Amino acid sequence: MAKSNLFSKIKGFVRSDAFIFLLPAIILIIVFYLIPIAVSVYMSFTPLRNWNIQRYIHEFVGFENYWRFFYMVTHDPTVQPIFITTVVFIVVTLIVNVLGGLGLAIATFFMGEKEASGTQLLWLLPRMTPIAVYSMIWYYFFHGSAIGTLNSILMALGIIHHPIDWGQSIIPWGPWMIIIFVNGLVGVSYGMIVFTSAISNIPKELVIAARVDGASNWSITKNILIPLLKWHIVYVTTWQMLSLLTTYDHIFLLVEWGLVNRYWGTTWALYIYNMAFTAAEKDLGLAAAAGVILVIVGAVLGLLALKIMGFDKMVKEPRGDI
Amino acid sequence: MMSAGLRDIELRSRRTELLLVATVLIFSIPLILGYGLLILSSFSKEMVTNLNPHDFIPTLRNWILFFEGRTAVFGGIRVNIWHIVLNTLIVALGVSFLVTLVGSMTGYAVSRLKFSGRKRFMALLMLLHAFPGSVMVVGIYFLYLMFLPSYQLVRFYSFFFVIVARASLEIPMATWLMKGFFDMIPWEVEWAALVDGASRFKVWRKVILPMVKPGVAAVMLFGFLAGWMDIIYVRTFLVDQTLATWIESNINAEYSYLPLVAAAGTFYLLPTIIFFLLAQRLIFTISATGVKG
Repeated sequence: MAKSNLFSKIKGFVRSDAFIFLLPAIILIIVFYLIPIAVSVYMSFTPLRNWNIQRYIHEFVGFENYWRFFYMVTHDPTVQPIFITTVVFIVVTLIVNVLGGLGLAIATFFMGEKEASGTQLLWLLPRMTPIAVYSMIWYYFFHGSAIGTLNSILMALGIIHHPIDWGQSIIPWGPWMIIIFVNGLVGVSYGMIVFTSAISNIPKELVIAARVDGASNWSITKNILIPLLKWHIVYVTTWQMLSLLTTYDHIFLLVEWGLVNRYWGTTWALYIYNMAFTAAEKDLGLAAAAGVILVIVGAVLGLLALKIMGFDKMVKEPRGDI
Repeated sequence: MMSAGLRDIELRSRRTELLLVATVLIFSIPLILGYGLLILSSFSKEMVTNLNPHDFIPTLRNWILFFEGRTAVFGGIRVNIWHIVLNTLIVALGVSFLVTLVGSMTGYAVSRLKFSGRKRFMALLMLLHAFPGSVMVVGIYFLYLMFLPSYQLVRFYSFFFVIVARASLEIPMATWLMKGFFDMIPWEVEWAALVDGASRFKVWRKVILPMVKPGVAAVMLFGFLAGWMDIIYVRTFLVDQTLATWIESNINAEYSYLPLVAAAGTFYLLPTIIFFLLAQRLIFTISATGVKG
């Protein structure tokens, strides 16, 4: 009964107008999201190495890759830092992103139009910059020798006398500071955009009335803006948390170029990429196992996020359809 | 509606405003320094990242070398940089085209059409955001190897593959964005055309799409930048080099002349700058519609 119901549902969908419009997206989602994840699950049960597919793909090792992964996380001193780094990175960058975005949105609200749009553009720049250029900029900013901008400023101010190798010698705070800073700047703009547009939808009368009553900037922020932004703060926090869990491209070059320590500057997502593509001995079974667990964590957090945000309320049925 | 929206223009004091601007500027110093020093270095004989004015020897040599297509000053490896620029452009244009096409179709469907599983489809689009990119790349590379064609076709295949794979990543963004624009069109327009007997597809192409030109332009722009800025997909799948992978391999190399790399980096930044000149107002209009259902 249920089976024929599903079948007729699918048949109805294929015949509907929506099918043609959705077909390209459905194909791309299946080929480039769902199948790759399924392939990763498969790979995690094989001893695949160095992309030697013909040789290894029909061998099965059961859960061995998973046990190895858990053993490494708990015992291997080169893998442990990656997970500590991931947790610290997500928590701190999340705080920086949400508070920074909120701060920028509120600050620009109290500015004149020109100053506000200038600020917004400046802080959008990191997100829109080619990743290689962006990495290059911070590579020179935090460089461990005297050519590094930060070192040269601190030396000119007399705070330090020798250049400090921030990403390699001050473990773990140095590499953490750099990757949080570099990703924080990218993430801040997301909160800024969402909060700015939310503020622009607040009824003008509220602020004018408060101003007439002699309210200060601070009390307007505390009593009008923040309460009205509550939902958006939850939304940005959950969304950014997922972004940070899965992001790796802005850190990739910093690790590859040796700006930050390989162990204390790598996050879980980057660890998987490097294990599969840049490591000398590409242990793909292990990379896939680490990946599958990351997928599960991401899916759980993602479903949780949809619940928290009240997704059902966000999606209205289309009006006026015939 | 545009960036004007609600502003606090009434009765605020000039002094606190200046204080705010100054505070934001202080926080922006690293950003301004970082970008400024890169651009300045591209016009100098030595990198000026150490803020030493003696290192700044103004010259146009980097840019001349760059435009002559020479990527090394003496001997060593010579690659024609214009081939690399062209490769980057092909990827960016391809991604832009595909993202716009798929995004405007899917966005229309979720905005205007009733179909079973619509809610689930939209939830899936949001959940795709939680899919870890690096795990997907591992699986996608497996597919890439499985369908590897004969030696002569590999370069073509890798371009095609990188464009389609990279465009797929942008589908959720493009769909939500276009949905916001379609939502703003009064449905009477569409209704009238449908009553006249046009098919849904025809209505979409002839009536609705021309009405959301700003949205299409925005998705094209975002798609272009996504393809232009990418490094991971390009370095994983593309046989040829793009500006991203060229910079990647030149930062630590013995043979590279860094001010020239700075010039290439500044050139690589140009579409971003153009984007800012074009899209300033667009971004904040989009976001106003994009977050809500």
